[in-house]
Amino acid sequence: MSNLSERVHLFDRLAKGWAIFRENLLGKIGLTLLVLFALMAVASFFTPLFGPMYDPMTGVDPLISHATGPGWRHWLGTDFIGRDIFTQLLEGAKIAFMVGLSAAFISIVLGTIVGMLAGYMGGFVDMLLMRLADMIMVMPSLLILLLLAALFGQLNIWLIVLLIALLRWPGVSRVIRAQTLTLKERPFIEAAKVAGASHIRIIFRHIMPNVLPLSFLYMTFRVTSAILVEAALAFLGFGDPSQVSWGMMLQWVWKTGHMFQAPYWLLPPGICISLITLSFYMLGRAMDEVLDPRLRKEEFSE
Amino acid sequence: MELRKFILRRLVEIGVIFFVILTVLFVLFRIAPGDPVARMVDPMWTPEDVQHVISQLGLDQPIWTQYLYYLKNFFGGNFGISFHYGEPVLDIIWKRLPNTILLFTTSTILAALAGVFLGKIAAWHKGRKSDTWMTLGALVCHTLFVPWFALMLVWILGYKVGWFPLNGIISPEVWVRGNSNFLVKGLDVIHHMLLPLMTLFVIQTGSYLLLMRSSMLGTLKEDYIVTARAKGLTEKAVRNHHAARNAALPVITSVGLSLAFSINGGALTETVFTWPGIGKELVFAVSNNDYPLAQACFLLIAAVVLTANLIVDVLYAYLDPRIRY
Repeated sequence: MSNLSERVHLFDRLAKGWAIFRENLLGKIGLTLLVLFALMAVASFFTPLFGPMYDPMTGVDPLISHATGPGWRHWLGTDFIGRDIFTQLLEGAKIAFMVGLSAAFISIVLGTIVGMLAGYMGGFVDMLLMRLADMIMVMPSLLILLLLAALFGQLNIWLIVLLIALLRWPGVSRVIRAQTLTLKERPFIEAAKVAGASHIRIIFRHIMPNVLPLSFLYMTFRVTSAILVEAALAFLGFGDPSQVSWGMMLQWVWKTGHMFQAPYWLLPPGICISLITLSFYMLGRAMDEVLDPRLRKEEFSE
Repeated sequence: MELRKFILRRLVEIGVIFFVILTVLFVLFRIAPGDPVARMVDPMWTPEDVQHVISQLGLDQPIWTQYLYYLKNFFGGNFGISFHYGEPVLDIIWKRLPNTILLFTTSTILAALAGVFLGKIAAWHKGRKSDTWMTLGALVCHTLFVPWFALMLVWILGYKVGWFPLNGIISPEVWVRGNSNFLVKGLDVIHHMLLPLMTLFVIQTGSYLLLMRSSMLGTLKEDYIVTARAKGLTEKAVRNHHAARNAALPVITSVGLSLAFSINGGALTETVFTWPGIGKELVFAVSNNDYPLAQACFLLIAAVVLTANLIVDVLYAYLDPRIRY
């Protein structure tokens, strides 16, 4: 298995994958929406250019100090103390991506390593790791986070990201383990063992590249659940108070009793949360068709 | 015989998991910043009450003895006194549990039935307009943000149109007036339950529809479907009795697996609608720093989740003999 043939093979697979992806309408819709949200997140970096009045957290309009509807000065209106809702929405997009992608990334790194180890080592290590995964997977993550917030006080956003990742890796590890188990029996692994490769080398050099596409597929689903959990946590009032996330915006609408009077405030964050979850999910399902070995005949690198 | 061994093994596993959770909670409550004693004993009580509860819960003992007290109290049903309500925690959660079970099981069963039924149809018509719309609808429903959707329903159906009450489980007027009979009271509860039920139902049906659809798509590729058709069975018979019956099995396990996620949604729904259930109590207890109540609610939910998983596993093993290893 030379390096050149590996690379050509990989490029070939990517090209084929893209062709399949392009056929999928839902995937395209999902991708388009995600690009839109990404643009929102990027735009949030530029809001300071419009003046301190538009700061999502501390922006104060000298003329308005209560909730008002959409207008020229504030495209989506203002919240209960006169802050611009549109910039808050943009900021929320940034936080959603930040939280979603980092939590998902950490959880798939953990899940992949655990899955590969469990699948490859087998025996006691396997049993122990999978029991642990079962235990974590069964518990409702939001409630665990709530309890932790109660005991340890207000949680910082990065701590929330880490905790979400720690609660979410089991799902990935099961799939990776199953994949590793099938890969383990393949001739090229035997060949590597005969050639004297150490276990570490086999795991990271031979098994991991074949397992990674699956990891990344499941990353999209991890992103959705991470965003939802963070939003729910913020909604209940246990998010990071220094971050204006969409969940936090919903909390403000709810707690200040504006939910019936201010649709321009209630609707945008909720729609955004649901929509970004939907687009990641559609993207994930489209990628599933590209990557799932059950849905098409897949040739592993040999 | 095989089934009985399977059930026994699962019971033992679940018991171990619950034990671990109990212990982890014990440790967490003691390593959290602040005085661990203040976590079970409200400093606002009189010194005699404080001392009484401390000795009852064994909080003045060394850590190992405390652990034994903790276990003994747990199995004896003594969870301490709620700071917020001033009553024993056991009484409170005992009163709340039926509400949660009522809401949750009704919505899950209805959603599972609807999801399986619709998913079966969607998979059967794959590629056609009806399938595309159903799948898109299911995707949207599945990814709705629970508290937001709940707020929307309250706003539109409760506030604007006034068809449904805004919160709670009962209207005090109906229940306090002496002449209301059981039927009227029952209808009142149902009236209050419809909005939270709708919230959970819509979202869960979306998930189950998607599950059933993909499961069915896989089943339809199987050889026995070709055989059934070759035998001359009507399309309806093939769809319902051969494909759907087998496709429904993975959906059942998924009910168990997605239980954790559903419970998150359930707690959020209860909070928004102020439905007096365990989820809402947990959220409120955490907000009020009512540690004994929060701990008990959490343990109860954990127990319910584990039990539900056990039931689902046993049901699946009963229905599909292949997995009884």
